[in-house]
Order: sequence, then C-alpha cells, then structure tokens
Amino acid sequence: MRIRKLIGRLFFYLLVACIVVYTVFPFYWAIVSSLKAGSGLFQVEFWPSNPAWDNYVGVFTGQPFGRNILNSVVVSVSVVVLSLFLAVTAAYSLGRIQFRGRGTLLMVVLSVSMFPQVAVLSGMFELIRWLGLYNNLVGLILSYMIFTLPFTVWVLTTFMRELPKELEEAAIVDGASPWVVITRVFLPLMGPALVTTGLLAFIAAWNEFLFALSFTLSNEMRTVPVAIALITGNSQFESPWGNIMAASVIVTVPLLVLVMIFQRKIVSGLTAGAVKG
Amino acid sequence: MADVTLRDVRKSFGGVEIIHGVDLDIRDNEFTVFVGPSGCGKSTLLRLIAGLEDITSGEMTIDGVRVNDLPPKERGISMVFQSYALYPHMTVYDNMAFGLKLANSGKDAINRKVREAAGTLQIESLLDRKPRDLSGGQRQRVAIGRAIVREPKVFLFDEPLSNLDAALRVQMRIELAKLKDDLNATMVYVTHDQVEAMTLADKIVVLRAGHVEQAGSPLELYHHPRNLFVAGFIGSPRMNLIETKVVSTDRDGATIQIPGGDTMTVPAQAAGLAHGAPVTLGIRPEHLVEADQGDTILDCTVFVVERLGGETYCHVRIADGQTLVLRTDGETTVRPGEPIRVGIPAAACHLFDRDGMALHRLQRHPLADQPLPRHAIA
Amino acid sequence: MTTPSVTPSFPQRPTEGATATPATVAAAPGISRLTRQRRRAAWLFLAPMLAVLALVAGWPLARTIYFSFTDATLYDLEYHEFIGLLNFYYLAIDPQWWRAVWNTVFFAVISVSVETVLGMIIALTLNAHMPGRGLLRAAMLIPWAIPTVVSAQMWGWMYHDLYGVINEIFLFVGLIDTPRAWIADPSLSIYAVIAVDVWKTTPFMTLLILAALQLLPGEVYEAARVDGINPVKVFFKVTLPLIKPALMVAIIFRTLDALRIFDLMYVLTGNSRATASMSVYARQQLVDFQDVGYGSAAATFLFLIIAAFTVIYITVGKVNFDQGGK
Repeated sequence: MRIRKLIGRLFFYLLVACIVVYTVFPFYWAIVSSLKAGSGLFQVEFWPSNPAWDNYVGVFTGQPFGRNILNSVVVSVSVVVLSLFLAVTAAYSLGRIQFRGRGTLLMVVLSVSMFPQVAVLSGMFELIRWLGLYNNLVGLILSYMIFTLPFTVWVLTTFMRELPKELEEAAIVDGASPWVVITRVFLPLMGPALVTTGLLAFIAAWNEFLFALSFTLSNEMRTVPVAIALITGNSQFESPWGNIMAASVIVTVPLLVLVMIFQRKIVSGLTAGAVKG
Repeated sequence: MADVTLRDVRKSFGGVEIIHGVDLDIRDNEFTVFVGPSGCGKSTLLRLIAGLEDITSGEMTIDGVRVNDLPPKERGISMVFQSYALYPHMTVYDNMAFGLKLANSGKDAINRKVREAAGTLQIESLLDRKPRDLSGGQRQRVAIGRAIVREPKVFLFDEPLSNLDAALRVQMRIELAKLKDDLNATMVYVTHDQVEAMTLADKIVVLRAGHVEQAGSPLELYHHPRNLFVAGFIGSPRMNLIETKVVSTDRDGATIQIPGGDTMTVPAQAAGLAHGAPVTLGIRPEHLVEADQGDTILDCTVFVVERLGGETYCHVRIADGQTLVLRTDGETTVRPGEPIRVGIPAAACHLFDRDGMALHRLQRHPLADQPLPRHAIA
Repeated sequence: MTTPSVTPSFPQRPTEGATATPATVAAAPGISRLTRQRRRAAWLFLAPMLAVLALVAGWPLARTIYFSFTDATLYDLEYHEFIGLLNFYYLAIDPQWWRAVWNTVFFAVISVSVETVLGMIIALTLNAHMPGRGLLRAAMLIPWAIPTVVSAQMWGWMYHDLYGVINEIFLFVGLIDTPRAWIADPSLSIYAVIAVDVWKTTPFMTLLILAALQLLPGEVYEAARVDGINPVKVFFKVTLPLIKPALMVAIIFRTLDALRIFDLMYVLTGNSRATASMSVYARQQLVDFQDVGYGSAAATFLFLIIAAFTVIYITVGKVNFDQGGK
C-alpha cells in the first residue's frame, strides 16, 4: 500500500517535471542558442560550453534594433495610456449607470474585440493613408486601438461592477457628480485593476504583428515583432539564427520580468475578461 | 425644522410596483423607524427619501420643499449605510470632510466641523487612520460622523447596526438614542429588528409588501395594533391568536366563545358584529397568567417548555387543539405533559374581525400616546 | 443568468437640455434630475470611446466590405469600379482559398481540442496541493507572454531540418530514423504549426480552467472521498459538469482566436499553401498581389464566419450584458 502511494507520488512529480520542461524548454533553448557563436550554433549542445555575446552585438549592428525597441515601447505605452483613459469613463457608464442601450453597447464592444484584424485591413490601410500616417508610429497607435480599447473597456467594466454600490451612493449623498465619483472615489480604488488591464493591453500591443507589418515600410519605423520576423530577409536559407535568437531573448526577458512581477494580477485579469464574461 | 411628508408615494421597478401609495408624516425632530419583514420595501422607501431612487408618482417634501426632483445633496439629508460605505483610500478625517470639500466649505470650517463631530463620537484619536485599520464599531462611528458633519436636516439610517455583533449592537443602540437627543434632528431609521425599533423610535412605521400597515408610537403599536399583521410583528414571542366566534355584543364589548365551553367579554367596539361571526382573539404571552386568576380560566396541557433562565415560555394546548404560548418566570416547575391552568385577563385581550382588522379597544392604554424619555438628561 | 437583453431600438439621448430649469423638467414623471444627470454623463463618458471605435473599427470594416464589391487595387485605391459579387464568385472557385479555409478550420479544431485536453490535465495537476505551485503557475505564463512572432522563430529554429534540436531529440529517442524537414514538408508543416500554437496557448487554457477549478466547493470532493468514489468518476461526474460553463467560454474564446490566426503561419512558413490560413491568404491578395477588392472579399468572408461564431459565443456563453438591473 505504501509503495503504491509512493509510485503514485513519483508518477505525479514526473508529470509535473514534463509540464515544466515542455513549457520552459523552447525559451531555454533560445537562450542557449543565442549564446553560441559561429559554427557552435550548429551543434546540438544543451549547455553552451563557451558562451559568447556575438549574436547580441550582431542584432544591433545588423539592423536598427535599438530603434525598433524604442518604437515598440512608444507605441505600446501610448496605446495603453490612451486606451485606459478612454476606457475608464466608458467603463463607469457601462458598469454603473442604468440607461437604455447599455446592453447593445456592451455587445458592440465585445463584438469589436472579436474582429479579425484582417477584416479591417484594407479599410484601415485606406484610413491611415488618408490621414497621412502610413509608415508612421501614430498610425500604428491609432490602429491598435481596435483591439486594446474593447478589451480594456470590457475588463474595466467588470471591475467597476464589483465596486460596492453603497460606496458610490455615499459619494452621491456627499454631493459628488459622476466625474467626481470616478476620479476621487473609484480611480484610487482601481489601481490594481488599471495595472492589470494596462499590462495585458501592453502585451497585446507589444506582440502585434499584422498591422505593424502592413502599415510600416522602412526599417526605422518597424516594431520589434516585425523586425524579428524580417531578420531573415524572408528567406528560409542562410538565416542568421543566432541573431534571431538573441533578438528574441532581448524582447522577451523584460516582458517575462513584468509578467512574473504581476503574475497574480494577470491571472485575475485574464479570468475577469473571459470567464465572468 | 424639517418635517418629511409623503403623499401617495409610489415606486415601480420595470413595471412592477414595489411601493404602493405611501402616505406618511414624519415630524420635525422625530425618530422614525421603518420596520417590516425583508422585501417589505422599507429600504426602498428610505432610498426614495434619500433621492437615490426616483419616485414613480406622488409627492415628497422635506422641510416644506418638494424634493421629488432634487438630487440627494440638495435635499439636506445624510445617510448611514449598512456596510458603512467608508471610502477605503481616505483617512477618517478625509472621509468625514469629503462632502464638505465638495461643497467648497472653507478649510477652517471643515476642520472645525470634523473635529467637533469626532469629539461627539469620541473618535478624535482615529482621524489619521484608514478604515481598514478600524474595528466594526469604530467604522460605524465614522460613518455616523460623516453624516453629522454635513449638518443635515434629516438623518437616514439603513440597517446601520446589522453588521455588528450582538453585544456591540446593544451598546451602539444606546449611543444612537443619546445622539438623537444631542443632535436635535429628524431621523429615519430602517431595521428588521423589532427590539431596535421599539427602543429607538418615537414613531414606528410597520411596512408589509409596500404598504404601511400602521404608524404610531412603539407602545401604541404594542397595545393597539391595527391589524393581525402588526399584532404579530410587534412583540416577542408573538401574540397568541385563537380562532373563535361572537356570542353577543353590547356596550361593554363583545362576548365570545372560549374553547372548552366558557364565554368571556372583551372590552372592544364590536357593534357591527352579528351573533356567530368569526373573530380572532389575540392575547400576548406575557399577559397570560399561570394561576387561577383572570377573567377566564383555560385547562391546558403543556407540551414544550423553553427555559431562558430569567423567564420560561410554556407552549400549551387548549381544549380544541389550538396552541398558546405563555410567559412565566424562570422559577416555574411545569413539565411537558402536565396539565396547567391558564388565566386570561379580558382587559389585555385583542379582537380581530374576519378581515384581520382590530376592533377598537374600549380602553386606550395610558402609555400609548405620550412621549416617554429614555434616559436621564444630564 | 439570463440571455443578453438586447434592445433593438437605438438608445435615445435624453432630450432635456443641460440648462433645463426645475420648472420645465417636472414634465417627466418618475425620472429625477439625478437620474437624468447620470444618463447624460453616461453618454458623455462613452462618446470619446465610441468615436474612436467608430473610427478604427466601424469605418474600416464598412470600407473593407465595400471594397469587396469593387476591383480596387492597393496601387490606387481611389479609382475602382463596382463589380458586384464577382470577387466572391472568384473566391468560390479558387481552390487555394478553399485550401486556406480547410487549413484554418483544421488548425482551429485540432489545436483547440489538444489545448483543451492538455490544459485540463495541467490545470488538474496544478490544482493539487504541492510545494512550489505558485512557481509552476508562473512558469505557465512564459509561453503566453512570449510574442507569437518570437515563438514562431524559436520553434522555427528548433524545427530546423539540419541543425534543429527536435530532430536531434526525436532521433535519440527513436521516434524517427532520419531527420525530417518539419516546415518544408507540406505533409508535416501544418502539424508543426499546430504544435507551436498548442505550446503557446495551452497556458491560457490552463489558467482559465484553473480559475474555474479553484471556485469549486471543496465539500463536494470531501463528500466524494468519504463515499469512496473513484477519482476518475469524480472528475467526469462532478468536476467536468461544474466547470463546463467556464470551459465552454474558454473554448469559444480560443476558437475565435484560432480562426483569425495570422502571424504564426506567416512567420513560420511564409505564404506556403500547405499552411496558409484565411488571414494569410487575404493579406497576400491584399498586400502582395495588391488586389484590394479580392482580398477584401476574402476578409469579409472570414469576418462573417467569425461573426457567426461570436453570436454562438454570446448565446452559448450566456453573456449577461445587463446584470445588476435589479
């Protein structure tokens, strides 16, 4: 009986180990590969015997990768700030005020978040060109609102709903207007929600590829995902795999650090967006 | 000077009427308690007065001003919520000062008012703390303090003690009664706890299903309930009710059949009742006596004895199988299964007609109509 | 929970002006100034968000649908002619398009199924009490947080036919006897793509299922254990029915996501016919071949499929849009 239990435990931890290896190994392999220089890259070695930083240097010398990172940061941060700003007041209306058409509006918001990006590609292309924003970061910021805005509105609405009703009523009795309720009562309480939502929106914007690929032209205007995808020069042969892996590690590590710091909040944000509906 | 009047006030939610034409006069300086079972509309009525819900039809005035259309802040009210609803991110001081700041009161005035209220409630030492660092009782005081600083004409309380434990509730109840005299303001208080209602109120309004069943002083409701519902709702244990019939009526009241064969004359206006009309006899457990006294003696059998220490509730069965509860002292030695003689004093009896409406008692109870002080005024 | 209450009529703005005096507003019985103020504020607060959404979603979508009936080209969007349903006709007879539809559906069905089963297993494992559970949950977030493009490149390198670690491991374990060209071989590439997607999105599934699992009442399991019911039976009879609503929502969420997949295929396999999804196909027509009319028709078709799925999501998920309306 005891032995069976022991075997059961052993099997369980083997399963856990498999899960961990499965989730972590690809990224680990990218790190290992990025540290191998020259022909070392082409030998399968699970630990880099003589780590070298050549690939990391190569990423920045081969293309304006620093500029690409800066582009991504500018675009993602702007998108997050803009989305949150527009979403907070909208979420208050949708979450806490009874008015006709609220259900319809929520459905519209949810539907937009389901839009396939390619379905708006030609219309968006026309719009961006018409606004003179082609190959311009502002164009990307604007187009990214299509997926970050519905998402932030939806999640913040869920959070807004959960704030106690009596708190708002106390403020109303105290003479607070809706604007005061939002700015002086609710916003200070929504710090965690804003961080969560903002972070998720940031990750979505940081990872976006289709619009960034279609609405930028020059190397200098590209965001990180496009830069990494195009390091190959669209050719399957003679790809600078070492550089690609180095670039991958560079853009992923800060993201992972953020995710690890805020992991609890992210999980709650994901579930607020999906499970509760 | 702040009376609150309601004239045929109605409230519907999505086509369903919740409050059905309430008429009410709450006089200046009066402590009025709304009481009733859950779902009776008492909280809704309070929120209508607060202005947190719209009045569907009817008229409401506060201090002579029609307030139907006024937002809460212009009604001269303040409200204490069941959950206290303190702003979690503000200190006690800021919680109390928030409304004044929004009203653009001067800094010195705010400071003076907040400290004054804090003094009254003995929470001066807590002013710099956040709500999460306070105990339930302290939060309650801050919530009251926040209501006080606005110097409202009318205080509204929505079940403010229901989140406190039993001991603290008794203590806060006493403090609220004292505060009421200190503040000299009109207060409207919602509770489902009839002890709170009896001890705090100048006037109790009993609500059921959106109707006012009766409004009056606590002892008026106790001694002269207008109908069966109020009779059953006020008083604990509940009033005993015995289904019976009228034998005859005259100027001294109605003579009714008592199960077991006797008759008894209850001093109540029964002029309209015919011989044989069904009536309900009501008698409170505390008015029944375990002895050979009383105007009628019933031979009963004890079937449950609940001993609370200081007093004992005996559940007894009378001749026709109906049951009664009688309250006796803690020293009684009755046992289940034993016979017992229960005396009914006719003067303490109530009669209700077949619609459940009370027949007027011929003798008005001496305490029913006069305001009674609760504590010595220092 | 109720089905979403959707008012068909367009929401009307309160007609009373901001300067209405108490004398004139008394006209609307049962709606106080507070309520009117709040409704007005609601629309005011919503206006900027709605304006932006209309600009970046409504307008481009309408234009895309419009373009699908024209022969517009990317080279010159302005000069185009209305050609009716011709684009859709060409689409209907294009085997490459139907290949893309098949790829997308195949990809969505297989990867979502595998993710669900795998996510369930991992979630049940993580739900067990053990040391380091928090750390494991954090590890689960790694694939989720890595940009799709980066995952595609990382796996692209691992799939490499000559130097890839996958061939190396599979040869070592004995799963294959000669190295395979996982990406170049048309019969393998779609599975290669699915494997990456499973790796990247299983964590999302896991976290959602885990959240649902942690909401389950513990007493049920204790009761089952006291009764000595087999754990497998407990899972199918107790756990699964209880988390089904959350699971359904997660599955539909993921399916919608999978149906519009673009970057994974594009980066891993380029425009290869063997793996191209509907999004890849539409973009290729639009950008690479400059045929905006035809590409828009493909995009519109995809939009309609997703719209149908969204309707299913809203009905099956019983999304309650109007809660708190007591």
